[in-house]
Amino acid sequence: MVTSVLEVRDLTKRFGTNVAVDGLTFTARPGKVLGFLGPNGAGKTTTLRMLLGLTLPTSGTATVNGRPYRELHDPVEQVGAVLEGPQFHPGRTGRNHLRVLAAAAGLPRSRVDEVLRLVELNGAGHKRVKGYSLGMRQRLSLASALLGDPRALVLDEPANGLDPQGIRWLRDFLRAQGADGRAVLVSSHVLAEISQTVDEVLVISRGRLVAQGSLDELTRGVEAPVWVRSPDAERLRTALSASEGVTAEPVQTGEGWLAVRGASLEEVGTTAAESGAVVYELYRPAQSLEAVFLELTGATEAGR
Amino acid sequence: MTRLVGAELLKLRTTQTFWGMAAAAIGLVLLIVVLSVALDADPTEENVRTIMATAGFSGVLTLVLGGVVGAGDYRHGTIAWTLLITPNRLRATAGQFLAGGVAGLAIGVAAYAVAAVIALPWLAAKDASFPPAGDLLEVFLGSVLYAGLAAMLGAALGALLRNQVAAIVVVLVQIFVVDPSLAGLVPDIAPFTLTGLGAAMSGVGSDNDLLPAGAAALVWAGYAVLVAVLAALHTARRDI
Repeated sequence: MVTSVLEVRDLTKRFGTNVAVDGLTFTARPGKVLGFLGPNGAGKTTTLRMLLGLTLPTSGTATVNGRPYRELHDPVEQVGAVLEGPQFHPGRTGRNHLRVLAAAAGLPRSRVDEVLRLVELNGAGHKRVKGYSLGMRQRLSLASALLGDPRALVLDEPANGLDPQGIRWLRDFLRAQGADGRAVLVSSHVLAEISQTVDEVLVISRGRLVAQGSLDELTRGVEAPVWVRSPDAERLRTALSASEGVTAEPVQTGEGWLAVRGASLEEVGTTAAESGAVVYELYRPAQSLEAVFLELTGATEAGR
Repeated sequence: MTRLVGAELLKLRTTQTFWGMAAAAIGLVLLIVVLSVALDADPTEENVRTIMATAGFSGVLTLVLGGVVGAGDYRHGTIAWTLLITPNRLRATAGQFLAGGVAGLAIGVAAYAVAAVIALPWLAAKDASFPPAGDLLEVFLGSVLYAGLAAMLGAALGALLRNQVAAIVVVLVQIFVVDPSLAGLVPDIAPFTLTGLGAAMSGVGSDNDLLPAGAAALVWAGYAVLVAVLAALHTARRDI
């Protein structure tokens, strides 16, 4: 099977004095869904647009199968893209929009109806785009991206504007694309939208890569605090805080609760026994992905 | 390139803007022709020729239309799709440029046909003296060529400026302010202004100072290609 590899090396983009993308390096491989995460304004869109040849890098390279997008001969068969922002003539019907793209790419007209069916938009193909909901526009974008049956997909915030059903549909869709051997690079500023879909994630903040790996690896990297409930909370807190790197803070929500960072469950239990503090409850909640995401991206935001 | 031009033409045909502007161009020519025939008490050979040459006025309108459609891709954001499918900026610009020319030619033919269908029988009823068929054919070819070349220049200008209003303003200022000023200040330049070249192609009047129609078409085509190349280079160096 023909495959596509998307590769970004030391990619940097400056707009005046503002550094939008700062020395980014990553690879999206066939058969994998790579999530590209970061808050709004982190540089995701700029990176994807550089990969698609729409924005010129200040330095570094962004390539598809080893070549810059602008040098590809039949790009629609190699990469399909969904972009953010306005991209349709409001007075043109969805079907005509696709017909124009198919004609330019030299694809048969039958392909237009195929992709309309694929994104479940076949009933609305004859309506003008100005009558489309945000979700329908996203589906039309996806249909456009799929026209050439590409071996890789670059999707910028494809979940934007989709209702919960639409997001579920998108998840299934992306998983199927990955399973089909496609390289999928999908950006989002909402981790939950794509967390059940991606094989690996890149997290960027302020144009820099702050974390990369599977979701398991990321959640392991940022551990949730240990929660402990004691009638002797103050004594326990003093004992815990005596160890270097350990903090214990009272939790507002409950009587006698402490949130302990920098110590394992075992260490907290041992310290409690040694200090003679009675412990009623001791556990570590599963770290929510959203919290990990906020911690990873928030840390660099606050650090500047 | 054929498929790119075909796609660009499909792009035009699937919007109301294009049909509205084409209808406006043809309607305006029709209005001028009707008024000219109605007000002409004694249609001489020369007058009949001039009346038919007013069809060439469609050239000014296709120039504006070209600007609107050339910049339209940027206004609606569809330029991203255009360049995703055809990443080579020179090819993409050439496709839009040539499609503009084809659309302009079609509007020119339609404008002339409408003018002929209305004016010729009417003039005949007024006992007009008709110029030789060859003369009328010359007027036809000139005005159609003008409409096509004008749309190409407009499309190139629209792609260069990336803004529909700016494209229209530049075209109007050029034709109604810059051209007459230049012609007044440096009469030798007059035949090379857009107005002078347009008049030479469409055969309006019989000004001996104008270039021959063929030479005027070549000069205009040169302007159009120059602007198109600038647009392609500009697109290649700028972020979309």
